[in-house]
Amino acid sequence: MAELQLQHLDKIYDNNVQAVYDFNLDVKDGELIVLVGPSGCGKSTTLRMVAGLEDISRGALLLDGKDITQAPAKDRDMAMVFQNYALYGHMTIYENMAFSLTLRKEDPNVIHKKVLAAAEILDLTSQLNKKPSQLSGGQRQRVAMGRSIVRNPKVFLFDEPLSNLDAKLRSATRREILLLHKRLNATILYVTHDQTEALTLADRIVCMSMGHVQQVGTPLELYDRPNNIFVATFIGLPPMNMFETVFEDGQLKGKGFSVELTDEQKQLLSGYVHRKITLGVRPEDIAEGGSLEIRVTNNENLGMNTLVHGFLGDNFHITAKLRGWSDNKAGDSLPVHFKRMHFFDPETTNAIRKEAE
Amino acid sequence: MNEATTRLDRMRYTKNTTSSRLALLAIVCNVLFFISLYKSDVGTYYYTILIGASIIYNLVFMLATFLASEGVKNYQKGYTWLLLVLGCGQILRIFIYPMQGHNTMIGGAPVIGNGQFIRMIIYLSLSAACLFVSAVINWRKSRALTAHIASVEAVKA
Repeated sequence: MAELQLQHLDKIYDNNVQAVYDFNLDVKDGELIVLVGPSGCGKSTTLRMVAGLEDISRGALLLDGKDITQAPAKDRDMAMVFQNYALYGHMTIYENMAFSLTLRKEDPNVIHKKVLAAAEILDLTSQLNKKPSQLSGGQRQRVAMGRSIVRNPKVFLFDEPLSNLDAKLRSATRREILLLHKRLNATILYVTHDQTEALTLADRIVCMSMGHVQQVGTPLELYDRPNNIFVATFIGLPPMNMFETVFEDGQLKGKGFSVELTDEQKQLLSGYVHRKITLGVRPEDIAEGGSLEIRVTNNENLGMNTLVHGFLGDNFHITAKLRGWSDNKAGDSLPVHFKRMHFFDPETTNAIRKEAE
Repeated sequence: MNEATTRLDRMRYTKNTTSSRLALLAIVCNVLFFISLYKSDVGTYYYTILIGASIIYNLVFMLATFLASEGVKNYQKGYTWLLLVLGCGQILRIFIYPMQGHNTMIGGAPVIGNGQFIRMIIYLSLSAACLFVSAVINWRKSRALTAHIASVEAVKA
């Protein structure tokens, strides 16, 4: 059992800069939580507070119901994997993995069994006699994970572990982390700025901005039902298109274009008549054919899909993700329609939803 | 895997630090020996070809022992012989300078006095003992490890 509760956590530095505001989260046993957000949003600070590497200014941290807010890092029974691996260059992989247990003066035979078991899980058995400099980035990251596994901690903390890897290796290591999570059924707190990592790995995602939690939910919830404009534009690649519109005559009217709404959508927006509404449309929710016209500026053919960049109406940048190969040229006019739309209040930036939602 | 097998298996990934450190300790004892030898004021007694040879031998000894310490660290059986030869050399040296110096009288007094003589014998004996023990440990461990690796590979095959 390893249930982690973060209750009203604040981080205020000595110079009165507040990095984290009122962070609340209940992490269930065996859950993989990903903290995602742009640089400087407070996700790593939160992780470091959980690890005990940063003091918690306000709030409480509970592990299995026990308050560990003031406990030193070594007594928290958590293992952290860093972006830069933090391996000892003069030690072999075996010695690196055994190091924390050796420091605790555990029986060498027990250490040996734990290291071999971890190496087996991570497919590192043949590398145990090598030095870190002889391994690839992905292998080094696996060693860093192995060093955590041998400790058998209650909670694993990953601080952007894949950021130093190239795209191909990142994808492979991501799959390994996922398999590892399933195999160990470990409670994991994982920090990344890469939304692909967040969407593919997480049981639940915590999306952060400027020290505030913007939304907590499953990857599908964040993608499908973003709470606000920040989450809508941060989750999803390419990001959601946003258009300033006004709700009039049962239509959303932007400069140079208008969008017809269904009865259900009109009812949803009934409180916004003659008011501004930010219309959000994901690039993959745009399909060819319809009354809207994109003035194409350039195409990015990706094989399976084509990203069409251009302008909608007077001067709204738009990106459409169309199926298959497309040969639009700059200046072409491409008729499209929106298959799905999201509505946001431009004043609060919050999503406009039914009361029940 | 039982305890004994685990202990053997550990050697596949850990260094033979006992043998290696004993070899380094032998160097330290040798250093203490030649410090004791060269610091004494014995007039012209040392100005012979033997003292030159002694200096060169000390350099060779330290280099060879250091190499052996690195070799035995990785359970290389061949270095056992080198350690044994170096150990025998240290025993032989007792009968050259300390003994000769102690038995040679200049102006009615021995070149090397009783206290210095005993200290030098202790240093050389300790150095030799370290080398012998290091060699024996390495021999036993490397044999056990070779057999263990063979059995592991046989199981794999």
